[in-house]
Amino acid sequence: MRGRLLDASLRCVAARGVRGTTLADVAAEAPCARATLYRCFPGGRAGLFQALGERELGRFVDAVCEPLAGALDTEDALTTVLCGAARALQEHTAFQYVFRNEPDVLLPYLGFKQVDRLYRAVSVLAGPHLAPFVGQDQAGWAAEWLARTVTSYVFFASGDVDLTDADQARTLVRRFLLPALDPAAAGADEGRDRPSHRRASMQPTLQGS
Amino acid sequence: MDDGPRGRILRATVTAIGRYGIAKTTMEDAAREAGVGRATVYRHFPGGREQLIRETITFEVARFFARLADQVAGAPDFATLLERGLRFAHRAVEEHEVLQKVVDTEPERLLPQLTESAPIVHAVLRAYLEPLLAQERLAEGVAAPEAADWLARQVLSFIVGAGRWNLDDPEQVRTLVRRHLLAGVLADAGGAPSPADPEVAVAAAGPE
Repeated sequence: MRGRLLDASLRCVAARGVRGTTLADVAAEAPCARATLYRCFPGGRAGLFQALGERELGRFVDAVCEPLAGALDTEDALTTVLCGAARALQEHTAFQYVFRNEPDVLLPYLGFKQVDRLYRAVSVLAGPHLAPFVGQDQAGWAAEWLARTVTSYVFFASGDVDLTDADQARTLVRRFLLPALDPAAAGADEGRDRPSHRRASMQPTLQGS
Repeated sequence: MDDGPRGRILRATVTAIGRYGIAKTTMEDAAREAGVGRATVYRHFPGGREQLIRETITFEVARFFARLADQVAGAPDFATLLERGLRFAHRAVEEHEVLQKVVDTEPERLLPQLTESAPIVHAVLRAYLEPLLAQERLAEGVAAPEAADWLARQVLSFIVGAGRWNLDDPEQVRTLVRRHLLAGVLADAGGAPSPADPEVAVAAAGPE
């Protein structure tokens, strides 16, 4: 039932935004009784949107990481995620509506204190999918780095780089991400003391609450 | 710092925002705080409250990056410059009481404004980094403009959120910059052990 209600909320947000969606709209869209909504989401409207955001993030990461099963190597894996995430955001009608029409609803989650929570969630969700390609120790960081990169290009588009284009995403990966994240490169280049698992394990610790 | 009545009003507005928040700061508050008449505030900001708030945020962002540029001036090499910049920027954000208060209480008013100026800030940062990168030996196939674009994005991303990195820890910043951010940018990002930033050595030797 919760799933069906979240589906209905998502359709409402895609059509008229978070601010324009009331619980009555969701009930009509589902359709269900208002009482059912309150039973499933005791937090009311805020609880409903919180749950919707969490579910959409999980579904987003799953959809983006799913093709990783077929990735050939680290370069291919990182490209798949970068390009897939940019495309998935572009195709997410509810995200696009909010992004264009009510950025003030979205942005607090992407700036300063709150963005660290997003990175943490993405690391937990996407890390395991990336681990076979970048090593267990770097997987969480790799997920965070990809999230940073996607966010940056979504929020200030560059005339030069379009991440929804697989070739351009691959170029970016090859130039700037792979030299740091490819475990093979680290092993093949021991003389330079590149990031190794030993190194990686002593770095990043989650901070803040 | 004497930057005339306009600058005084803008600085006063930052203080007023710290006290009353963005939503409740009025032209009168700015005037009182700056020690000028209401008419003077309106003369400098004919667009009223909205213009005043918008320009105050832009002013504070510009001041932040001016301090950042000061802070990194004279760094012995590019990697050290980036390390100093990230450490300073992180500390400046954490210690900016008005920013922290607004982020906690009315992020929905601040962040859209900041996002609006983000493309300009990114362009300024990119323009600052590009000539510096042009002097470095870059990794094969990498051109200074694209490297500057990439690094400007990364720097902004880390200013806005440290994520899993402790940017107060010089060792972590060093790892982040040399082994990650610059790994694909410089021909030799300094992955091999090299002398630590002398400023860090001083800080580390200082009192706890």
